[in-house]
Amino acid sequence: MDHRPQAWGRPRDDVYGAYDASYLQANGPNQHTQSPIVTGTSVVAMKFKDGVVMAADNLASYGSLARFTDVKRIRTFADTSIIGFGGDVSDMQYLDRHLTELGIDEAYQSEAGHTLNARNLHKYLSNLLYNRRSKFDPLWNHLLVAGLDEESRPFLAAADLLGTTFTSPSLATGFGGMLAQPIMRRYVPDEAAVAGVSRDQAVEVIRECMKVLFYRDARSLDSYSLAIVTKDGVELRENEKLEQQSWAFADRIKGYGTQTV
Amino acid sequence: MAMFSQNPVLNGPNYSFAEVPKDAVDGLREHRFNPYTDNGGSTLAIAGADFAIMAGDTRLTSGYSINTRYAPKVFKIGGTTSSQDDANLLLSVVGYAADGEALQERLDAICKMYRYRHGKPMSVSACAKRLSTIMYQKRFFPYYVYAILGGLDEDGRGAVYSYDPVGSFEREQCRAGGAAASLIMPFLDNQVNFKNQYVPGTGVGHELKERERLPLPRNEVEVLVKDAFDSAVERHIEVGDGLQIMIITKDGIEEKVLPLKRD
Amino acid sequence: MSSPFSINGGACVAMVGKDCVAIACDLRLGLQALTVSNNFPKIFQYGDVFLGLTGLATDVSTVSDLFRYKVNMYRLREERNIAPSTFANLVSSSLYERRFGPYFVSPVVAGLDPKSGRPFICGFDSIGCIDFAKDFIVSGTASEQLFGMCESLWEPDLGPDDLFETISQALLSAVDRDALSGWGAHVYIVEKDKVTKRLLKGRQD
Repeated sequence: MDHRPQAWGRPRDDVYGAYDASYLQANGPNQHTQSPIVTGTSVVAMKFKDGVVMAADNLASYGSLARFTDVKRIRTFADTSIIGFGGDVSDMQYLDRHLTELGIDEAYQSEAGHTLNARNLHKYLSNLLYNRRSKFDPLWNHLLVAGLDEESRPFLAAADLLGTTFTSPSLATGFGGMLAQPIMRRYVPDEAAVAGVSRDQAVEVIRECMKVLFYRDARSLDSYSLAIVTKDGVELRENEKLEQQSWAFADRIKGYGTQTV
Repeated sequence: MAMFSQNPVLNGPNYSFAEVPKDAVDGLREHRFNPYTDNGGSTLAIAGADFAIMAGDTRLTSGYSINTRYAPKVFKIGGTTSSQDDANLLLSVVGYAADGEALQERLDAICKMYRYRHGKPMSVSACAKRLSTIMYQKRFFPYYVYAILGGLDEDGRGAVYSYDPVGSFEREQCRAGGAAASLIMPFLDNQVNFKNQYVPGTGVGHELKERERLPLPRNEVEVLVKDAFDSAVERHIEVGDGLQIMIITKDGIEEKVLPLKRD
Repeated sequence: MSSPFSINGGACVAMVGKDCVAIACDLRLGLQALTVSNNFPKIFQYGDVFLGLTGLATDVSTVSDLFRYKVNMYRLREERNIAPSTFANLVSSSLYERRFGPYFVSPVVAGLDPKSGRPFICGFDSIGCIDFAKDFIVSGTASEQLFGMCESLWEPDLGPDDLFETISQALLSAVDRDALSGWGAHVYIVEKDKVTKRLLKGRQD
C-alpha cells in the first residue's frame, strides 16, 4: 500500500519500476522494455493432494485505468500444464505466441505426444527470462507455472523478469504476495501439508483469496479465470464471478482500517 | 503542480523510493533496468581434518517478502548424472539467486564434461581455479553471488575455497557468506580458529601463548554450524526457515535439513 | 562511508550478568581508514552509572561532557547519585531535544540499580529512542559483528569472571572483523560495591 497521493492510480514503482514517459516518442532508436505499460495484477496458485489450482482476474490495466476487462491471463500448455501471467500484457502475448509455437514444435518432434512436463516448461521459461534480463531487454512478467512433474506429483513454481525462480506449496505474484499468500499458507504451510488438502478445499481457498484481492487491490476485477490441473488434464474456466461479496465492513472502515475514531 | 508532475517536491509528500520517474527526453537514453536483486540468505563452510561441511539457510526473499521457505543454496557438483549420486564437490551460492543458479549449472556442466573427457572426477583445486575463471569472465557484468566451493583435496583433507563476485579466491579453513556473514564470521574466527584465545598463565600481554589450533571433530563442527545459524536467525530478518547441511567425506556426501525459526 | 556514524569508527557493548553488569569499548580513533589515536576510550563513568558512546568523535566528547555537567547538577540538587534508569531517561530526553539536528552518537547505558541492586542496561538511537534489553546492547561500526558474537556467546546468569571472559571474547573477535574498530579495549565489570576496570591489548593492526 502506498499512502502518498501522487503515487495513487499508477502501477507501483517498487514493483514495476518507474513509469517511462519516453516510450511515447514516435521515432528514434530501438527501445527495450524499461517499464510495463498495460499490466495484469496478481496470480495466485496452490497445490492440493493431486494437482494445482490457479487463478488470475481478467483485467488488464493501463496505469490506473481499467482498460481491458476481458483479458485471460492463464493459458494451458499441451493440456498438461498451466501458466499464469502477471505484469506486462504485451510481453505476455509475446510469450503466448512463443509457447504456442513451442507446443506445436514439440508435438511434431515427439511421436509419443508431448515430452515437456511442467518442470521442463518452467525451466524453459525461466531460462528465457534470465537470458532476456542478461541482454538488458527483460520480459516484464512474473509467471506461475503449474502442472505435474516427471513423477506425476503436483508441481508449482514461479519465475520473474530477473530470472529468479522458486517453488512453494502456494505461490502468488504482486499484491497476492502480501494478501493471498498468508491465507494460503494457513492451509499448506509446508510440502507435507499438501497431501491433506482436497481439490474442493483448494478451490475454496483460492476463491477466498480472489475475493480478498478484489476487496483490497485497486487494480483487480471480480471476473476471473480459474484453472485446475490434475493427472486428468486441465480444467480452465475463464469467466468466473466473485460470489458472496460482503461490503458490510466498508462503512465501518476509517483511515487505513485500524483507526477507531 | 509539482505534486502531480512526479518530480520530487521539497517540503511536501514524496516517494520513499529512489527511482523517481523521468520526463520524456530526446535521443539516446541510458538503460535504467536494474538486472540485479538481492535474495538474502546466508551460507557457511568449514574444513575439517578429513571432511568439509557446507551449510546454508533455505529462505529466499525479495524485499520484506518471503518467496519460499525451501530454496537450497548448497549444491552437489560434478556427478555423472543429474541425480549427483557420485558428486565429489559442493558449491554454495548466495546473493542474487538467478545468477547463483546459472553459475551452479555452468560449473556442473563443466565438471561433467571434464569427467566425460578425462574419465575421472575434477579435483577441488582444479575446479576452484576453473570457477574463478568462470566468474572473472563476467568481470564487467558479474554474477552477483558469493560462492564457496568445498571438497576433499588430494591428501583427503577438507578443503574450502571462497570467492568474491568477480572471482578472487582463496583456500580457507572456514568462511561465512551472504546477508549474515558479518554476524557469523567473527564467531567462526573465535570458535574454529581460536582467535583471541590464549593459554592462561603463559605470559603477560603479547607474551601470552595462543591456544593451539587443532582441527575440530565432526560432531563439534556440526553443533557450531547450528549455533551460528540460530544466532544469525535471531538478528537477521533475511535468514531463517530451514538449515541445509551437506557433509563431504571419503565415503561420499551426506545431506540433512534442520528446522530454523520461521518468523 | 561518509556517514557521520562511521567516520571515526568504534565499538561498544554492554552485557547483563548475575548481580553484575559489564560494559566494554574499543580504543581506536580514526579519520576514515587512517588511525589517528589508539587511546580514545568511549566509556564514561558518572557516579555508579556507565555511559558508552560511539559515533562521531566530536559528538562523543561533547555529549560525554554534557552528561557530566547534567549528572553533577543532578547530584548537587538531589544530594545523591543518579540511578541508571533515571540517567537513561535523561539521555533519552536530552537527545530528543536535538530531534532535528541530532548528535551523531549511539549511546549505551549500564549500571546496577542503587536500591534493588538489579542489573540495568539499555541502548539508544541518535534521537533518544530507548532499547531496554534483558541480555546485551551493542553499538558502533562493529555492531553487526557484535550482534553475531553476543547472540552466540552470551547466556543468562553469568558470574563476574565468566561475564568478563564473555564480553571480552565477544568484543575482541568482533572488532577484529571491523576495519574501523579495535586497537585495544577497556572492559568494566560492575558489581555491588566494586568496579573492576581492565585494559585489553588486542590486535594492534
